[in-house]
Amino acid sequence: MTAANPPATGSGTDDAKRPGGGFPWAALIFLGPAGLLLLAFLAFPTVYTIFLSFNRGRGGEFSNWVGFDNWVRLFTQDPNFLRLGFPPSGALINNLLWIVFYVSLTVLLGLILAVMATRVRYEALIKGIVFLPQAIAATSLAIIWRFVYSPDPNTGLMNAILGIGNVGPVSLLGNPDTVTWALIAVGIWGSVGFATVILSAAIKGISSEVLEAARVDGATETQIFWRIIVPMVSLPISVVAVTLIVNVIKLFDIIFVMTAGGPGASSRVIAFSMYQEAFPQGQFGYGAAIAVVMLLLLVPVMIFNIRRFRAEAVQS
Amino acid sequence: MTKFRLAAPFMVAVLALSACTGDSGSSGDGGGGDADVPEGDGSIVVTSLWGGAEEEAFTAVLTAFTESTGIEAEYEANRTDYATVLRTRITGGEPPDVAIIPGIGTLRSLARDGSLISISELGLDQSSFEGNYAPGILDVGVVDDELYGIMVKLNSKATMWYSPERFTELGVEPATDFEGLLQLTEDIKDAGATPWSLGAGDSWTLTDFFEVAYLKMHGPEAYDTLFSPEGDWTDETVQATIDKMTELYTDDNVDGGIDGAIATLFVDGISKVFSTSPSAELYYEGGFVGGIATGADVNPDLAGQEGEAIDWFDFPTIDGNGEGLVTYGGDVMAALVADTDVAAFMEYLTTAEAGQVWAAGGTIISPIVDVDTSVYPTVLIQKEAEQVTSAEAVRFDGSDLLPGTDLGAVLQSAIRGDDMGPILEEFQTLTAAAWESE
Repeated sequence: MTAANPPATGSGTDDAKRPGGGFPWAALIFLGPAGLLLLAFLAFPTVYTIFLSFNRGRGGEFSNWVGFDNWVRLFTQDPNFLRLGFPPSGALINNLLWIVFYVSLTVLLGLILAVMATRVRYEALIKGIVFLPQAIAATSLAIIWRFVYSPDPNTGLMNAILGIGNVGPVSLLGNPDTVTWALIAVGIWGSVGFATVILSAAIKGISSEVLEAARVDGATETQIFWRIIVPMVSLPISVVAVTLIVNVIKLFDIIFVMTAGGPGASSRVIAFSMYQEAFPQGQFGYGAAIAVVMLLLLVPVMIFNIRRFRAEAVQS
Repeated sequence: MTKFRLAAPFMVAVLALSACTGDSGSSGDGGGGDADVPEGDGSIVVTSLWGGAEEEAFTAVLTAFTESTGIEAEYEANRTDYATVLRTRITGGEPPDVAIIPGIGTLRSLARDGSLISISELGLDQSSFEGNYAPGILDVGVVDDELYGIMVKLNSKATMWYSPERFTELGVEPATDFEGLLQLTEDIKDAGATPWSLGAGDSWTLTDFFEVAYLKMHGPEAYDTLFSPEGDWTDETVQATIDKMTELYTDDNVDGGIDGAIATLFVDGISKVFSTSPSAELYYEGGFVGGIATGADVNPDLAGQEGEAIDWFDFPTIDGNGEGLVTYGGDVMAALVADTDVAAFMEYLTTAEAGQVWAAGGTIISPIVDVDTSVYPTVLIQKEAEQVTSAEAVRFDGSDLLPGTDLGAVLQSAIRGDDMGPILEEFQTLTAAAWESE
């Protein structure tokens, strides 16, 4: 995506300088290597995957064409991917839950922590602690939380604490009704630090005159938060939100390590379904169809991102 | 945008080219007959997911193979995500020479992908070693009338594990029929202990229970039908078997309740009965529990106390049926490269000599009939080998025969007390479609 911008701006300035309308050799030489890499490692696999989704894909290669079979099966016959009814469930729905709750809660908590942290003297300490999970690999993070959630109070911190209040051991990961929520909580815990640090930097960028002016005008702290701070950091908020959305559409590691999509298939997300169908089950064509769904979900996010970059470029 | 429009036809061309080469590449070799099999380079690589004691026992077989043929054999363990790693190696064009494949669904799908070399393509004659196996054992490795996989090891899955010492303390005794098992469960509760441990987080522990119960209740013929493309999961026999299961595995009978059990993995389930601080008295799973319970993962102190601190009794008969019926799980080996070294290895593993070496390691039951039961190192394994060899009928682990649909998830729902009608209907649709698309 980023490579799409330089040629546009480049040719814009070149028009003025370039003698005549000759072939832009310089641009080709500079962009060629990057373009080839993009072609080989991005465009080619993408097109390959799209084609594969219409094939049985034995052994990951084109074996026999099956038309829309994979697609029909994916959306009508695979309750592990999408089960309509009330309430709807499946990997696709789980992923939507992740997008809505994980992203909004992470941003909200990040924003609150950032605002509060700027008001205390031990700000660095607070931010350090909140940012710490960012330094842990997602796999380790998932293993830590699998211990925390363990139904055995001797291992599981959560059940040890509940045990003090005489609440019997609960197994959040063993119950299909709670598992996705328990995993989303882990995701939020792992990402709040990222949101906090970025938003905190943005808040510090708000000039103190603006805030003082508001206070002089008699605004309460709540009003300042909603009417001044939130609008002024709306751009960083959307950067954080878009980054989180992109990450969560591709989410795999936490699910794989903590539940392997279980119990049953109740905590699967799109990327996990793709892995499960393509690799252990060897249905590469079907897995490719799931990958394309993932791609289609990412496209609007990317378009939004590009539009925003353009808007920014115009503003500046 | 213009740049992209120019690139698109080029990409399609690249795509088409690669598709062509891919197709011709995968169907090149094969053909059958001795003459076609190329000479090996004197070494082979065998992969499997075994570690620990299982790995030691198997590497002893490899050493014996090297001594007998002069061909170097290297063992490569992929402990987790075995099928993923194997498929990745195959698609990457670097398959191992021989792979031990757990799960017949995986074997079938790899064979149909054209990734496996059949026994006849290796130049081996099936009739020359057929007599080394009990009837039916080799059939498990047949795909579309071709023998691809040879069963190399098996374990009974009709064993109920307990500690005789603690049973004596509690004043209870092993059961021989299902009614007796329910009574035993009550008696253990009355004595103030928790009867069952269940590692249902690994849902294959549930499928194993279902399979042996189904076999005992409804007999081998119904069993064969259920786990074939003709199987009907909405049949009342399925619900009847599930009812037995949920009668036994209840919140009151299982340590940690059902939700706790679903978050407990197989090995942790063993620990609940055989660790130094046990919290339950009974554990159902296959013969391999013995090796794990007495190993480093659970309680090495138990080693040497087999028959006293750890033992098993036969999975009980149900409503008077199923005496002498045993389910077993096992792994098959299959060749992924056609050369003489691989052929020699496959042939060696069908001999009693290899079976004897492997059996002496104490982790497996050899499917080879001429292996003397006295080579098994512990009483537990000897007893297991006798259970399997003296059985009236043995049947292979049914869920390993299914085309990748998740029976375990269905059974997790069952023990949680969900309404099984719609779940089984859905499973039937999924399974029928999966058999179809194999």
